[in-house]
Amino acid sequence: MLSIIIFTPILVAIGVALMGDKREGPTYWLSLLSSIFVFALALFMGINFDPSQSQFQFVEQFNWINQFNIQYHLGIDGISYPLVLLTSLLTPIVIVTSRTSPKRKYHQYLASFLIMEGLMIGVFSALDGFLFYIFWESMLIPMFIIIGLWGGKDRVYATVKFFLYTFLGSVFMLIALIYLYFKTGGYSISDFHSVPLSMREQLLIFLAFLFAFAVKVPMWPVHTWLPDAHVEAPTGGSVILAAVLLKMGGYGFLRFSLPIAPDASAYLANFMIALSLIAIIYIGLVAISQTDMKKLIAYSSISHMGFVTLGIFVFYNLGIQSASPETMSLAITGSMIQMISHGLISAALFLCVGVIYDRLHTRLISDYQGVVNSMPKFATLMVFFALANAAIPGTSGFVGEFTVIMASFKINLWIALFAAITLIIGAVYSLWLIKRVIFGEPLNERISGMQEMTMIEALPLATLALLVLTLGLWPAPLVEIMSMSIENLVNHITFSKL
Amino acid sequence: MISLIKPIIPELTLATGICLMVLVNALIQHPHKRTSQILAVMTLVVSIAAALPLLNQNTEIYFNGQFIIDPLAIGLKISSYVAVLLVILSTTINEKINQSEVLLIELFATLGISIICSAANLLTIYLGLETLALSLYGLVATNKNSIESTEAAMKFFILGAIASAIFLYGISLIYGIYGTLDIHLLSIMIISDTLELKIAVGFILCGIAFKFGAIPFHSWVPDTYQGAATPVALFLSTAPKIAAFALFYRLLIDAFSSISETWTIMVYALGILSLIIGNLIAISQTNFKRLLGYSAIGHIGFIFLGISIGTQEGLESSLFYVLIYVLMTMVAFMVIEILSSEHHEVKSLKDLKDLNSSHPWFSLIMLIAMCSMIGVPPFAGFYAKWSVLSSLIEANMVITAIIAILMTVIAAFYYLRVIWFIYFEKTDKENKKLESTILQKTVVSFTGIIILLIGLYPKPVLDFCRQIISSNLLLD
Repeated sequence: MLSIIIFTPILVAIGVALMGDKREGPTYWLSLLSSIFVFALALFMGINFDPSQSQFQFVEQFNWINQFNIQYHLGIDGISYPLVLLTSLLTPIVIVTSRTSPKRKYHQYLASFLIMEGLMIGVFSALDGFLFYIFWESMLIPMFIIIGLWGGKDRVYATVKFFLYTFLGSVFMLIALIYLYFKTGGYSISDFHSVPLSMREQLLIFLAFLFAFAVKVPMWPVHTWLPDAHVEAPTGGSVILAAVLLKMGGYGFLRFSLPIAPDASAYLANFMIALSLIAIIYIGLVAISQTDMKKLIAYSSISHMGFVTLGIFVFYNLGIQSASPETMSLAITGSMIQMISHGLISAALFLCVGVIYDRLHTRLISDYQGVVNSMPKFATLMVFFALANAAIPGTSGFVGEFTVIMASFKINLWIALFAAITLIIGAVYSLWLIKRVIFGEPLNERISGMQEMTMIEALPLATLALLVLTLGLWPAPLVEIMSMSIENLVNHITFSKL
Repeated sequence: MISLIKPIIPELTLATGICLMVLVNALIQHPHKRTSQILAVMTLVVSIAAALPLLNQNTEIYFNGQFIIDPLAIGLKISSYVAVLLVILSTTINEKINQSEVLLIELFATLGISIICSAANLLTIYLGLETLALSLYGLVATNKNSIESTEAAMKFFILGAIASAIFLYGISLIYGIYGTLDIHLLSIMIISDTLELKIAVGFILCGIAFKFGAIPFHSWVPDTYQGAATPVALFLSTAPKIAAFALFYRLLIDAFSSISETWTIMVYALGILSLIIGNLIAISQTNFKRLLGYSAIGHIGFIFLGISIGTQEGLESSLFYVLIYVLMTMVAFMVIEILSSEHHEVKSLKDLKDLNSSHPWFSLIMLIAMCSMIGVPPFAGFYAKWSVLSSLIEANMVITAIIAILMTVIAAFYYLRVIWFIYFEKTDKENKKLESTILQKTVVSFTGIIILLIGLYPKPVLDFCRQIISSNLLLD
């Protein structure tokens, strides 16, 4: 089942790439249908998913490279399933919206996104460290092409920076994985979890993984590739980058760093919390001063991802068993909800920017004013997403941030206070963006002459809005899916490995 | 009679093929332009067929201790025959270089490689080495009308002659100390490390390092890669590397394994130097062939690091790296070869601009080759890097592994630059039709896809390397 979900898009991508750029219609429909098929499969998997089990489900396991004990081992649990679903949801959306703006080499564009989809789902479902690394790294190639081929003016700079940053981060992870292989005699992640390691080993392994995941999240101060990559990437690229790629870092912390090196995580927790708070507050302030809409959203992404890392590490504030299991579950649940919610909201915001960019071909905030006059429906949606970005109650953004802040309150008042500042900062940059772009008198005739959204543009945004609202008002189903796996994780990471 | 020549049937086939080609070229007035190619291909196919049955044979030494047949020898021979076969199949047939000469000399070189692989005596090794080296000097000079090519050949010849002399001097020192050139006897006689022995091994190592093109014996590499005609550079960068590995194995492992502490440190130093300097210089190159030359030096650093560990895993990973490297560089040169026409040779990175619009398929193949050279999965090059890193970490050389991996990131930049010229740069040049034949295109596509297939399922190649290395080490 998981293999089908991973390899359908990749195989279709090969077919699409071979069809050539003469046949835009068929390639589009083929890609769209296959991605919807994958989404349907993922949903179907969700129906059969048993949330009362903490074990991995839909497991597939074969020997792949015997002499190194490398296995083709896939499976999902409550932590990875929501991310798989998110990925399979966003790919059809990206494909639908790609239709609105003409692209050269359209078939390659579609193929790149389909390959990305397969690889991303592979990352979330790999249970073998080696397989995980293969999916994780392979993804650089299509993303490199997406930003470089269909990006903006400085696309080459941005894409090379993106590639080198992430490559540099992940090669350290490779060394850590190889080291763990010699420790356990295999690459199985569950073996990694149970292997005893000395503090020194844990620290080094933790740092190696930190390089890889911190670059992906991205955490301050290794975040600088993200604004460049986001600004230059085509709309679809930004959407996938913000919504899924960044989540891999958070997922990596939960799947690798915490369970493999719990003592090192506890030891370095305050360092991680500090980095997260810097990201939340300082990057939030940076976001306020941006003049480019995409850059603003990119910085706000970094700031929001700070909540994810905060939630993952905050309960280690005073040591490995400082917090009660309930608080730990709460914090991690908050992080997970924040990841999903940020995936939806940032994707939607980038799509919004894409919609108006296709009309005026500028991303500068100062080039817009009074969009509401010509595009009232669009304005409604964009305002809604901006509010969600500012974590207004009733939207999913609120649930995630509020849960993390609540957990922090139980642990350390000061951390919670600092984190809560973001509720103000987030409101400032989100609302100010809206004020300048959406409201007011139309700046010029080009703005007053803007066409209202077409059906193709509106549909994805409306879907996302619905999901953001549902998740904001009724997050219980999501929490239920995750709860057992998180509980299992929490039980594991409170035990010292020393 | 048959049993007497049985071990050298592959070599005899090659020699017969060479004679036949000479005769055909001399006697037939206006041969069909493909005659030489067909003859060469047939020769190689028969040689491969003759070598295959020997693969499972036990180790045996023939001809008074001159010639050894073991899985390593046969395995390397078969690999190099296949490599040469692919090279010859993808060579362009046109008037610019003398087709029959080039193919003939390439077969000569293959014969030399074959002899090196099976040498059981230092003199046999030297014989094979010189057969190979002299053929290569000739090959580089075949592009007679090009100043660059002549200059490259001259440099290559002078430096190569010096390296051979140093190598020979090392051998003579060994003979002076132990009174024998037989590798098996030497491995028994050498027990302790003396200064004379150290010097001799150092000299021999210089010779090998020159063949590989490791720093500081590298200066011929970029020049010859750049100056030689593309088919020649293609040959130069593939099969001789396999021979160099054989050279390494026969000398350092077979003969001098008991003093491994002496040579591992030398190999290690050469490896680290090549890795760092090769990759750093490659960053600023604009000529694509020259870039590949420097990138070769960087890859050789990895191969040397693998060997310098001195363990079985290290050797396996190095052999694996050599085979994969040969495959990757072959694809890169083949694509250049295909894109070049009789009047316009693809040299600079600029010539590759916007290749994606005119030839998307070959762009993809080049993308695969470059990503594989960076070491991005799921391509074969990743496993090559990973296996060397694995053996480094197993031997507790984590710092070296980190240096190696940092250099990989630096190297990623110039490979990415190739990709960005192919995919991201725009050009006004009109779309030219390729002059290459369907055969060439098939060979390139086949080799490119092999890189991907090995990436998806590397087990057979890893097994192959493990089998031929471990069966040899068990003897000791």
